[in-house]
Amino acid sequence: MLGRLLLLVIGLVVIAAVFLVVRFVVDKITRRDTSDRPPPWRDQNVLSLAAQVVALGLIVTVGAWLWSNFRDRTDAIGLELTFGFLDQPSGISIADNPVSSNAGIRDAIQQGVKNTFLIILLGIPLSVLFGTLIGVARLSSNWLLQKLATAYVEFFRNIPPLLVIVFLWGAVFLNFPAGSGRTAEAAWRPFGGWFIFSNNRFAFPSIIGLDNFGLYRLLILASVVTAVGVWVWRTRVFNNTGASPRRVMWSLTTLVVLGLAFFFALGGPFEFSKTTVEDRIWSGGFRMQMPYAAVMLALVIYTASHIAEIVRGSILAVHKGQVEASHALALNGLQRYRFVILPQAFRIAFPPLINHFLNYTKNSSLAVAIGFQETTSIINNLFGNSQPAPQLLLILMLIYLTFSLILSAIGNLINGRLQMKGA
Amino acid sequence: MEIGHHPGIPYHEAPSDLPPDHRLSPGEWVRQNLFNNWYNSLISVVMGLGLAFALVQTLDWALTSDFLIIRRNLALFMVGQFPRDELWRVWASLYLLVGASGFGSGVLFRSEQADAEEKGLPVETHSWSEMLRRFWAIVAISIFFVSFARTLLPYLGLVVGFGLFVVGRELGRRLSPALRTRGLFLSGLAGLASLLVLAGTGGLGALAVGGLLGVWTLSEVRNYAEQHGVGSGQPVPVSRRVWRWHIRYPFKRRVGARLASWVAGVVVGVIAWFVLRTVDLSGFGWDDWGGLHLTLFVTVVGISAGFPVGVLLALGRQSKLQVVKGICVVFIEFSRGVPLISLLLFSSFMLPLLFPITFGIPGPLTRAMIVVTAFSAAYIAEIVRGGLQAVPRGQIEAAQAGGMSVARIQRLIVLPQALRAVIPALVGQFISLLKDTSLLSIIGLLEFLQTSDVANAQTEFLGQGLVAVTYPFVALGYWAFAYTMSKESRRVEERLGVGVR
Repeated sequence: MLGRLLLLVIGLVVIAAVFLVVRFVVDKITRRDTSDRPPPWRDQNVLSLAAQVVALGLIVTVGAWLWSNFRDRTDAIGLELTFGFLDQPSGISIADNPVSSNAGIRDAIQQGVKNTFLIILLGIPLSVLFGTLIGVARLSSNWLLQKLATAYVEFFRNIPPLLVIVFLWGAVFLNFPAGSGRTAEAAWRPFGGWFIFSNNRFAFPSIIGLDNFGLYRLLILASVVTAVGVWVWRTRVFNNTGASPRRVMWSLTTLVVLGLAFFFALGGPFEFSKTTVEDRIWSGGFRMQMPYAAVMLALVIYTASHIAEIVRGSILAVHKGQVEASHALALNGLQRYRFVILPQAFRIAFPPLINHFLNYTKNSSLAVAIGFQETTSIINNLFGNSQPAPQLLLILMLIYLTFSLILSAIGNLINGRLQMKGA
Repeated sequence: MEIGHHPGIPYHEAPSDLPPDHRLSPGEWVRQNLFNNWYNSLISVVMGLGLAFALVQTLDWALTSDFLIIRRNLALFMVGQFPRDELWRVWASLYLLVGASGFGSGVLFRSEQADAEEKGLPVETHSWSEMLRRFWAIVAISIFFVSFARTLLPYLGLVVGFGLFVVGRELGRRLSPALRTRGLFLSGLAGLASLLVLAGTGGLGALAVGGLLGVWTLSEVRNYAEQHGVGSGQPVPVSRRVWRWHIRYPFKRRVGARLASWVAGVVVGVIAWFVLRTVDLSGFGWDDWGGLHLTLFVTVVGISAGFPVGVLLALGRQSKLQVVKGICVVFIEFSRGVPLISLLLFSSFMLPLLFPITFGIPGPLTRAMIVVTAFSAAYIAEIVRGGLQAVPRGQIEAAQAGGMSVARIQRLIVLPQALRAVIPALVGQFISLLKDTSLLSIIGLLEFLQTSDVANAQTEFLGQGLVAVTYPFVALGYWAFAYTMSKESRRVEERLGVGVR
């Protein structure tokens, strides 16, 4: 290190000398008048250039030193710095997933990314919904509701999210009846076994397609388009005549009527599928792993406490005149929130909310603590299988950076649409 | 739901017709606040029933559960695997720390009071009941924790600890104004000494004490020079002092005094460092630490070591030098874009590979600390950047017009204003780092959350579902500190008037 620093100093001196000589020569050749130019040690341009060269030199020196240490150590333990290991079998079996433990590491990581995405996909809308409810409850005129919401916020904001996750998993979900192995019969099966709650899965019915299912899907798509058309039509009617639009009722009715009509016309294109458990194997229906539910719900509980504070602040920031005007128009409580307060509050709340979406994404990596196999968890397992750590760490960090970038890009896009134009 | 009428909320549903000092009777209060319309009545009934059910369940659980696991493992929760024969060190260090922080807070409180008196602002009076109101959560939780002790000693220890805080603060408040700076240095030194009692001296501890002693010497010598030769002998605030020094005294004397103070500071610091390095008090290091103690320690170190780095990063990001700016931006955005877990995995798998091969690899806690410091520095940098942007442009222009150098403008004009404005956000960062230290359990460090799993893995308590007892216990520990800090940060925010001006 000392040798490198010495080299750096010598290099810098040489660069400085060369710079001065070149400048002197150029000045002489072009016969420039240099009498009013300050000396180099007071010349702002020279100084800033020098500072940047020094900074760059220092960074490069330190980087090169770390890199040589790194190479020394990796050579000593015989670690190859290539990405060929990605095709080796991962040795990880992922629950509820067709990827076997013989499939490549690449596939395992892909599944992990998919699972991370699932945590985000369901969790962020839920936390916004829940957080908004709590935030509104904090401003309720009902003393009890307001105090309870405050207690909720003050408690969950001030404990670690990891603690919420491990508590929900270890102290709540694990106490559900056993759902695997021979004791699977103990699982709680309400509604004649259409739903199954156990400590490793939560199952509910799904649909499986029969004949004509492809055609039915197309027709459903057409019905949705029709329903949207009805929505637009009712809006126009409202705009032209002022008559009550009842858009939700009209559109929903259209959708349901069309859906049922097509269902019977095609002779029953799908049927409901029930989950069954035989010899540890769960099949049919829609199955949610309990660790997934634990991570997702715990993060929703935690994030909602932060979002509630933002929503509350934003509601208080909506101009008082707006609320008074809505009183003057004789809107009731729900209408006031729906049409006046919340739309404006969300315009204020959205930028800080993006931050919490990013935090949520990063916190999803806490699933590693209870073994739900998302990105971090799978890569952590791979460390255990003595796969090369430097490359895996690089992949891990790049994945999360990508998630963060995409999410903040989407957030900024939405934010751009939300804000008032020309304001 | 409607926005109701209670203080602090600007929308009043229906301004009361009653005179302002009318006291509601209990019946009226209930009608107005719980049953003022049909849906509020419904909410009240449902919530009330739910709350009653939850309370009954909790009470039932608290009365019937067996808290043996906590009674047996209280020391584990507090200090992890710290050698049990050496527990006196924990108490000694706690006393030093509590006494020092009491003393320091007393000194700071008094000097703030004096400042307010000088400026003619409203002066805050000291009251212990106010202190208790501010810190009730920590007091209550420490009493609650100690109540699980099986011997009398911890109770005594707690009482002595509170007593020392009171004595320290009262002493600090009564310290004569001339000694205040020395008093602060002394309490800082006592705080560091408290850590040395726990981990022995050795590299970092010795360096920290040496550094503090060096700075102290430097300031003493400079004060002396100012009072006997270069200065007028009148104590003046630091910021003004520099200016006088500049204007009144000839270059040689100024530089001479400055050089002398630096030489003295460096000499004393280096000597103290070397002497302390050779003294080894205990023979064990901080890798023996654990429990709540480790959690608090990592948080404090992460913030206090990350702070200077963060300020430098923030300044670098504002810099006009494109190279410096680029480096800082990449570091900040990278550290903030990845989860802390991935950085901690970096510390346990990658960091060892970056040390020279001729060198030993530092322990896991040291490596984790490096990463936590870098992580918090990145977040602090963004907070400080907010403060820097809030400093009016005119301040800098005025300083430039006064002929100050770039470094001096930053140090004397920009940073004091910027940092003052970001104190609440820094406290917020402290809270989130406190919560984030729970992730150390994932790389196998025995911090507060992990102690719960260790206790549940003991043969006596294995597989009995006792996490339902230990996790709430741990949660209360985190909550007390985070809640108190967040209330303090709101208080500071109000007092500074951030966002009001």
